[in-house]
Amino acid sequence: MDDYDIRSAASILASVKEQEARFERLTRALEEERRNVSLQLERASQPDRLSICNIGNGQPLATAWQQLVLQEQSPSNQTSIAMMQEPQEMVEETVTVEEDPGTPTSHVSIVTSEDGTTRRTETKVTKMVKTVTTRTVRQVPLGPDGLPAMDGSSPMGSYTDSIDRRYLKNGERYITPQASSTLTRSYNSYNDSYPESHEGQYRPYLGHDGYGDLSDNYGSLSRGVGYRPRYAYVPGSAYRPDDGSFTLPSRRDNYGPVAQPQVPVGSNADLNRSQPERFQPEPYGLEDDNRSLGVDDEGYELDPDYSTVNRRTSAGVPERGRPHKGRGYEEPMEPEMVEERIPYLHGGYAAPLAQPERGSMASIDRLGKRSPSIDSIRKDPRWRDPDLPEVIAMLSHPIDPVKSNAAAYLQHLCYENDKIKKDVRHLKGIPILVGLLDHPKPEVHRKACGALRNISYGKDNENKVAIKNCDGIPALIRLLRKTNDMEVRELITGTLWNLSSYEPLKMVIINHGLQTLTNEVIIPHSGWESEPNEDSKPRDAEWTTVFKNTSGCLRNVSSDGAEARRRLRECDGLVDALLHALQSAVGKKDTDNKSVENCVCIMRNLSYHVHKEVPGADKYQELDAGQTTGTGGSQKKKKDDAGCFGGKKAKEEWFNQGKKNGDLDRNFDTLDLPKRSEAAKGFELLYQPDVVRLYLSILTESQNFNTLEAAAGALQNLSAGNWMWSTYIRATVRKERGLPVLVELLQSDSDKVVRAVSIALRNLSMDRRNKDLIGSYAMGELVRNLPSRQQRSAKNLEEDTVVAVLNTIHEIITDSSENARSLIQTQGIQKLVAISKSSQSPRETKAASHILQMIWSYKELRNALQKDGWNKSHFQSVSAALKGSKGPAGRSGYDDSTLPLVEKSQDNEKSGSRDMIPMDELGPDGYSTIDHRDKERKYKSSDPSGDASEKEPLKNDTNRKNINRSNRASVNLVDARDIKPQPVDSWV
Amino acid sequence: MAFVPGQPVTAVVQRIEIHKLRQGDNLILGFSIGGGIDQDPTQNPFSEDKTDKGIYVTRVTEGGPAEVAGLQIGDKIMQVNGWDMTMVTHDQARKRLTKRNEEVVRLLVTRQSLQKAVQQSMMS
Repeated sequence: MDDYDIRSAASILASVKEQEARFERLTRALEEERRNVSLQLERASQPDRLSICNIGNGQPLATAWQQLVLQEQSPSNQTSIAMMQEPQEMVEETVTVEEDPGTPTSHVSIVTSEDGTTRRTETKVTKMVKTVTTRTVRQVPLGPDGLPAMDGSSPMGSYTDSIDRRYLKNGERYITPQASSTLTRSYNSYNDSYPESHEGQYRPYLGHDGYGDLSDNYGSLSRGVGYRPRYAYVPGSAYRPDDGSFTLPSRRDNYGPVAQPQVPVGSNADLNRSQPERFQPEPYGLEDDNRSLGVDDEGYELDPDYSTVNRRTSAGVPERGRPHKGRGYEEPMEPEMVEERIPYLHGGYAAPLAQPERGSMASIDRLGKRSPSIDSIRKDPRWRDPDLPEVIAMLSHPIDPVKSNAAAYLQHLCYENDKIKKDVRHLKGIPILVGLLDHPKPEVHRKACGALRNISYGKDNENKVAIKNCDGIPALIRLLRKTNDMEVRELITGTLWNLSSYEPLKMVIINHGLQTLTNEVIIPHSGWESEPNEDSKPRDAEWTTVFKNTSGCLRNVSSDGAEARRRLRECDGLVDALLHALQSAVGKKDTDNKSVENCVCIMRNLSYHVHKEVPGADKYQELDAGQTTGTGGSQKKKKDDAGCFGGKKAKEEWFNQGKKNGDLDRNFDTLDLPKRSEAAKGFELLYQPDVVRLYLSILTESQNFNTLEAAAGALQNLSAGNWMWSTYIRATVRKERGLPVLVELLQSDSDKVVRAVSIALRNLSMDRRNKDLIGSYAMGELVRNLPSRQQRSAKNLEEDTVVAVLNTIHEIITDSSENARSLIQTQGIQKLVAISKSSQSPRETKAASHILQMIWSYKELRNALQKDGWNKSHFQSVSAALKGSKGPAGRSGYDDSTLPLVEKSQDNEKSGSRDMIPMDELGPDGYSTIDHRDKERKYKSSDPSGDASEKEPLKNDTNRKNINRSNRASVNLVDARDIKPQPVDSWV
Repeated sequence: MAFVPGQPVTAVVQRIEIHKLRQGDNLILGFSIGGGIDQDPTQNPFSEDKTDKGIYVTRVTEGGPAEVAGLQIGDKIMQVNGWDMTMVTHDQARKRLTKRNEEVVRLLVTRQSLQKAVQQSMMS
């Protein structure tokens, strides 16, 4: 993510510099063009001449273009006029144009010459011109204005006239009466519209109605009005309209002055050559294209700058385009912009080139097309950045490119700027952006989504809530279903990832989007197929950004309590697909990436409390019970009653369990797995013994601490509990040679990995054989993780980890004097005594003293202890001191929860007395063991790590502001548990 | 959206027309409802006023007829085909929605975001 940011920042810088350079060149070129044009104009005051000139130049293409332009112009002119008179919408568009007009003026002169040509050629070109030309045409008319004014008398001319007039006004000299009038109108309208838009975003909607019309208008207007709109598209131009109010003025002025020709740079030089008198026509054609391109480019550029994301610019925008962009930006500053643009036109940009550019622009959408590149280019004499309210108002502008550019600019502004995000929220910009998600044009909803992604990132949850409050989540999901554009999908899922980091939104995301996210992203990208084609080999997962974002989102929501877990488990295909993805990751030895981490975290969260929460869980519980009775059930009861260890039920229970499990294990070893009539699917996969191998592979291969922790946590969750499946899991871990893997991870440098592994070992030691093996092979590593007197610990582990390790040791030596002996042999007593006497942490002290008590209870070991110089006081003084609080320390529960543990502060009290632990807590569930976790959980829960799975903030913005939330989920869990009668809920 | 029984209710509502989808013998709407005057209103996670015993949309099938029609989780159903839904039992509401001879149901629903949108527009 960091890289990403850096890159984007760097790319923005680079693009800005590029633009500046281009701008310079363009300006010079424009100036030159201006001179040429003015010369030409002087020479050929009439259009005829111009046309002739063009032809004469021998640039047929150019002429053709021009001609085309003319034709378009004429229609457009008509339309434009009509438009102007009619709907405001039109006017608005015109407005946009106006901005451009300033620039156009200079062009206009050129155009004039063309006009002459145009008339003649009109017929020919018409068809061809349509798309491309249109824009050009308008420009041309402008140019012609001066000249055309003459033409204007004719019907066709009238159109041109109108256009020309505008330009003239702008341009100064060429003002025809009519023209001026039209221009004025348009300006006025323009201004009006803008203000409106600022005030009420709703007006734009009017414009929307016009949309169809607008586009048409463009087409029609294209020549005159239409082009202008395009100008609007150009970010610069868009603002310019405002300029009308804001900046515009300068352009016109400039136009007059513009004429100063400067020597074009590089490419410009070429342009200049062409520019000279004759080729004017060509220039037009080119210009149009260029302009359009330029416009587009500008748009693109903006995007890039704005959004970190923008790729288009770099990729999509052709070199030329970029230069144009540059112009656009710079131009505003310089009145001569117009001239510059002209150069472009002249510039050797041949029509053909222009077309390609369009293509690039195409991605941008209409901008390119609409954009009257020339006009936009010329416009900007005094250009300023719009302020935030203006940008937000532009989101509602009737012209789509204005919307998308405004959204892109917003994205840019919001990047890493919490203040702006907040301001956008206060200015009610978020509902508008959400509304744009449903916009049919890709450019618009893409940009809106980009802005929302940046806005949704960060610590300020208010922004997230604001998105949710205007139904942004269902809107995002709708768009996800609708679009096939990868980039848009990345943005959507990125936004959802950001939103998912805020607890209250998690359930909303589940409610609206879980199945869609699964069907649209998780399943297809995981490579899983519900009905695999036998001919083809299984597909591998694709670690796409979309998958990463989506899995991150689901990872976050999976921590939102029992209900969330239930929904995810029961979501069709989700568990299957995640497992397939992980299997594929292991197969490819690609287990370090973020997507894998997310998947494992989801799996861990879904494994939490499976034995309680999965439908039909009781069935397996009963089964277990049945077995127990069959094998050691009776014993258990007796033992319980007898209370071997001072009547501590807990101990007894554990003891019994151990034995019981031992029996089961033996059976299992010989083969006891239930045979399935059909393959497991869905949530059943979570706890099938098959997953053990998967997790162990991950634990062996991955270098990612979070992934390691999650995989260990999954095993921890699965091995907790008393149902049949956890018994199988515990045995399977052993059979798959998983214990050495886990023990080795006790050396991990990561605190949380050590903790998760340690707790997993504790749960696994519910299996008697595991307990023996762990006691023999893991004791050394466990003790090594304890702090010694001098240093807190070799690794300086956190308190929670130390407590987890202590509790694991306690569990291992419980009911096993052999293990207690190995503890003594590993010099553990010294460390334990130190901890119990001098640790700063009461929890560590308690846990250590409980172990010591336990050791002293093995009378057969006392001799050995006394030989080593220990006496009763070392073991009992502590305990005495601890009395009252023994319970907690003793806790030998099994943690199943990696998840947010259900932590109740009360637990501490409860745990105080072991006796209570077993049945009371478990009572309802019937699991005697599980409850222990609660106690443990306390410890755990104290650790944020428990939740680690959640929150990965979305990077898009940059960093991980959200990253550390942790155990809130625990609270949720508790709530979920406490819920009484479920409210009635009927499907209809 | 709190209201006093007997007093007229003012709410911003949206019309939603759902075309039922035939699934086998059943016509489905693709959402679930909660609430009703016979239910515990404090357990309704969607109501702002925890004494509101109205009928609320609790789930919407993704891609189902209700979602297509624009119904959203948390919407409060005010009327079904003109029948009041603010003072009915859960079962009455369910029956009203699932009449076999009706292939289309027209709902009036209200939701917080609607109210807020209107308030904002009025304030601005």
